[in-house]
Amino acid sequence: MSKPANLHPLVETRGVEKVYAAGSKVAALCGVDLKIARGEFTALAGPSGSGQSTLLNLIGTLDQPTKGTVSYEGRVVSGLDVDSLSDFRLRALGFVFQSYNLIPVLTAAENVEYPLVLQGVAPAERRKLALEALKLVGLEHYTHRRPDLLSGGQQQRVAVARAIVHRPDLVLADEPTANLDSKTGAQLLDLMEGLNKEHGVTFLFSSHDHAVLERARRVVQLQDGELKSDETRAR
Amino acid sequence: MLQLAWRNVWRNRRRSTINVAAMGFGLAAIMFGQSMIRSLQSQLIEKATGSFTGHVRIERRDIDEPKFPDKFMTNPEPAAKLMAADPRVLVWGRRIHMTGLVSSPTMSLGALICAVEPDKESKITDMAGYMKEGHYLEPGTKGIVMGKKIAGRLDVRLGEKVVLMAQAADGSMGAEAFRLVGIHETGSESFDGQMVWVPLSAMQELLGRPGQANELAAKVRNIDDADAVASDLDAQLGPGNIGAMSWKKIDKEIIGIQAFQDGLLTVVLVIVFIIVALGILNTQLMSLFERVREFGVLMAIGARPRWIVKLLIMESALLGLVGTTFGLTVGSLLIAHFGHHGLFLPVGDAFKYFLPFPSVIYLRPSWGMHAFACATVFVVTLLATLPPALRAGRLKPSEALRHV
Repeated sequence: MSKPANLHPLVETRGVEKVYAAGSKVAALCGVDLKIARGEFTALAGPSGSGQSTLLNLIGTLDQPTKGTVSYEGRVVSGLDVDSLSDFRLRALGFVFQSYNLIPVLTAAENVEYPLVLQGVAPAERRKLALEALKLVGLEHYTHRRPDLLSGGQQQRVAVARAIVHRPDLVLADEPTANLDSKTGAQLLDLMEGLNKEHGVTFLFSSHDHAVLERARRVVQLQDGELKSDETRAR
Repeated sequence: MLQLAWRNVWRNRRRSTINVAAMGFGLAAIMFGQSMIRSLQSQLIEKATGSFTGHVRIERRDIDEPKFPDKFMTNPEPAAKLMAADPRVLVWGRRIHMTGLVSSPTMSLGALICAVEPDKESKITDMAGYMKEGHYLEPGTKGIVMGKKIAGRLDVRLGEKVVLMAQAADGSMGAEAFRLVGIHETGSESFDGQMVWVPLSAMQELLGRPGQANELAAKVRNIDDADAVASDLDAQLGPGNIGAMSWKKIDKEIIGIQAFQDGLLTVVLVIVFIIVALGILNTQLMSLFERVREFGVLMAIGARPRWIVKLLIMESALLGLVGTTFGLTVGSLLIAHFGHHGLFLPVGDAFKYFLPFPSVIYLRPSWGMHAFACATVFVVTLLATLPPALRAGRLKPSEALRHV
């Protein structure tokens, strides 16, 4: 899943600020500069309200910064129109959410296929790719099950498969283990780590859990909307 | 998208079933109403034209009331030739309609005298089919046919004589004896209690008006052609004092009833459509609020806002299709049932005073109207889903994902 090298970082935020103006103005992020290179396995850490989810939303182009820019391989994406952002996310990003967020009326395989459906991939091809992705997350025998018949861990694996099926540049995971018990959470991290190491999938995830943060090769610490530390660990 | 939309429709089975039922039964009610009104109207037209009026008439233009022309055409034959030459005319006949006095040995009563050509009249109207006793008029005889009630009031029986009196051409009172050959029973007070039927030739003799008539009545092959036939005949008759008109100008009250019923039906249709629209709007709004986070997920993985709008519209279209199909089936079965077994309508009794009218109506489908109702229910379903769909399309992914 690796792509050709680019002189620019995969993701770069420059002076990103986000101010929410519900009643009184609240600054969620204050001028964050961050670079993520292709192939990284990076965690965003920090106490609740420190701005991790906001930063993930901005990097994921789900929200627009009040100030500053978000770039992918040197191309500024913050400020693109709604349809261009949708197309960008469809092609370049994968998402894993805290509460799985699978579509309840679709089976595991159909959920995984969905980004490919939106891309207009032919049915046979997308079924093949979805089965491959489900195999990667160890759920090749659960393809026809709907989410309500899967455990939390299995659902999150399906979500991971959905996030990687279209071979995105970056997978963003907002507290992916928060709803899982420690053992299942560890298994999910094993899976994500494996995908990163063996298939070169770039992960950026947020967590409050020390055990999860221990697994990251780079931990970016946020506090009160500012970047407090950026630590890379040798493995 | 179709697969997702279809499954989303049935995600909340109970709600969708209630919606489909509301839509279906609403549509079935509309179809039933349309069919009932149209069947009633066509039965009314059939009975009015088939028992008295005919489809097209030629009369003098200076008459006061086209239903009962009070003035005579001294030479109706040129007009009769025109009528006979029109291939759309199935059968036609000369008539005299006028008021007079009918007397038995014990009683005299005012009556509407209908003098007809018996062999033709039995094909123009269906009065011959209402004979209760005896038989219908025969050409060249001096027989008389009357309703059961007037015969009862006159206290006459088959074979007995009555005397008809009417104002003759010279202003004197003409009188002639007729033998009672038939008694009809239509159920209508007007027909059974006030009308008598005699052969045209005998009446012409009584009035001293040989060869004269005050109307020529025709039955056309297809009643829908009546206006065109009347219009063509009228044009051929020219600007003189004799003109042609269709039953619509003669039985104006039927057109009035028809317009009133159509107006009423339109009001009911609009109410049903509003109910259907509100039901769908409610369902889609509830569905939207329940699935805000899901729309956020779809947007996050790359669905364009327009795609979300399309998804919701497709869900409504599928719901509308199921509801319309269900309604069409229920409506068609209802119409078929009452078309076979008949529907008792007390309104028949109201019409019965003026016309031989049955109390049981046999429903007939009006496919053109039903197709319009189906299409409207479907379009209303789509329109009702637009506000929630557009609202879903305006959601911001990050906010939608935070929705609880």
